[in-house]
Amino acid sequence: MNELITYSSGFTEEIGWEWPISVYLLLAGISGGAIIVALLIRFYKNQTENTAVYKSASLVAFVTILLGMVCLVGDLTRPLNFWQILINYNFNSVMSIGVAALMIYIPLTFVAVVFAFADFVKEKFSFLAKIVDLLLNFRVILEGVLFLFGVVICAYTGFLISVLVRFPLLNTSILPALFVISGLSAGTAALCIMAKRVFNENVHSSDMKILHKIEWPIMAIEILFLAMLYISLATGNEAGKIALAAFHEGSWSTVFWVGIVCIGFLLPIILNFSKKEQENSNSIFYISAMCSIVGVLCLRLFIIYAGQTFSV
Amino acid sequence: MSSSKENNRRNFIKGIGLGSLFLGSVQYGLNANTNKENKKPHYAMIYDQNKCVGCSDCEIACQEINLVPKNQHRLYVEDQTKPDDLQHKKYMRVSCQQCVDSPCTEVCPTGACHKDSITDIVTMDIDKCIGCKYCIVACPYDVRFINERTNAAENCNFCLNTNFAKGKDPACVESCKYDALVFGDLNDETAYINKILDVKDAVRLKPGFGTKPSLRYIPKLKTGVYDE
Repeated sequence: MNELITYSSGFTEEIGWEWPISVYLLLAGISGGAIIVALLIRFYKNQTENTAVYKSASLVAFVTILLGMVCLVGDLTRPLNFWQILINYNFNSVMSIGVAALMIYIPLTFVAVVFAFADFVKEKFSFLAKIVDLLLNFRVILEGVLFLFGVVICAYTGFLISVLVRFPLLNTSILPALFVISGLSAGTAALCIMAKRVFNENVHSSDMKILHKIEWPIMAIEILFLAMLYISLATGNEAGKIALAAFHEGSWSTVFWVGIVCIGFLLPIILNFSKKEQENSNSIFYISAMCSIVGVLCLRLFIIYAGQTFSV
Repeated sequence: MSSSKENNRRNFIKGIGLGSLFLGSVQYGLNANTNKENKKPHYAMIYDQNKCVGCSDCEIACQEINLVPKNQHRLYVEDQTKPDDLQHKKYMRVSCQQCVDSPCTEVCPTGACHKDSITDIVTMDIDKCIGCKYCIVACPYDVRFINERTNAAENCNFCLNTNFAKGKDPACVESCKYDALVFGDLNDETAYINKILDVKDAVRLKPGFGTKPSLRYIPKLKTGVYDE
């Protein structure tokens, strides 16, 4: 920027945060998104049985968030020191708030897995039956809290990077909202794949129909938020214009237009309207869901890499 | 009956008088305390672009004193001389700006990056650092780095653990042969740094970020007069 006096050579050689963070942001989004969607369906339909969608959601949420933790710890330069973050808290720091939220969220996703497979757990580990029964008494409350923390996990990942003032693409108020909605998109897609692949849920069951229906408004809101981000940068000040270049210059703009727009948005729409023959419908179902997840991965990569490339 | 009423009133007025005296002195005491707290030092540094010749003595002294690995820097002097005008030399100090509202200490999840309780200088507790790099991406001035030897994040802390602890000026200030660097306490009215700031125009870098850096730069504005 045009300042009276400044320097051009900062100390960061390429970029500070790299792909493990992008992958974590994706995994946290899938985890939170899957839980939010599955619990909303459960609350909305007053379900009491363990549906395939619920079972999928609990497994997806638990496994993805644990993989996310591996990414986070792996990205530390002093990974063996990571326990320091568990005992020291600074509630001015979004990361610290996130760790506190994860400490509640991760055990709750595990409890959800126990709920989903309660009969199996009681049968195989009979000595745990009393604990499982005790937890089942508080099922509604625990699921309510889990739902809340699902939203917190999705949103905090957005706030985590929106506080970085040096990067105008990241330092925007829309980012947490964009991360929640794209988390829902990836979470829904992961639920579709899991429910069909592992639990053999019929694609035309009423739960799956809901999943399929909510995909479109979620995608519409996601596109809306991206458009809002673009327009706010384009009409913004000099910093905004620097960040706007991320959409038009460099290899990350390709990731945006090919990965996010074409694969993430256009391809699922085209696949949905293409002719559905019985043999193809399975593969189209999987490809369409995978496209959503790849699109969200590209979004996270684009935000992390392009965001840090175009700095002020 | 009437005299007891009178007494009541008198006691009431007495009570108010004594109460306000008490509250007043408490208030005074509290004020005296806050005044003392305000006397906390505010250490700052001036870099005079007109005096710096780019000899990089400061860089070398900093690396030696603070045991910074060879290819890394807490402090770096950028050569801003234009290639088509080599006669007008211009240099620029790149280092931690020691912000008053420092984003690095705000975002650090463990409190490893913190303000020293006595001096208010932004510094590191290496043992607490997990290397998440949040402080590095949060710094508006991009002047923090992961030390290759300790794997912990680091910044210029005015030699807090080295020279400052021994009562000396920071290594860069000590080594500068051209008096381009001045270090001192802004809250000490008699300090040399305040006398310079009284008479010279000094600016902060990127004030728009609103982090109130403690580093002041005296910019080289005129092109200079010289014989050919």
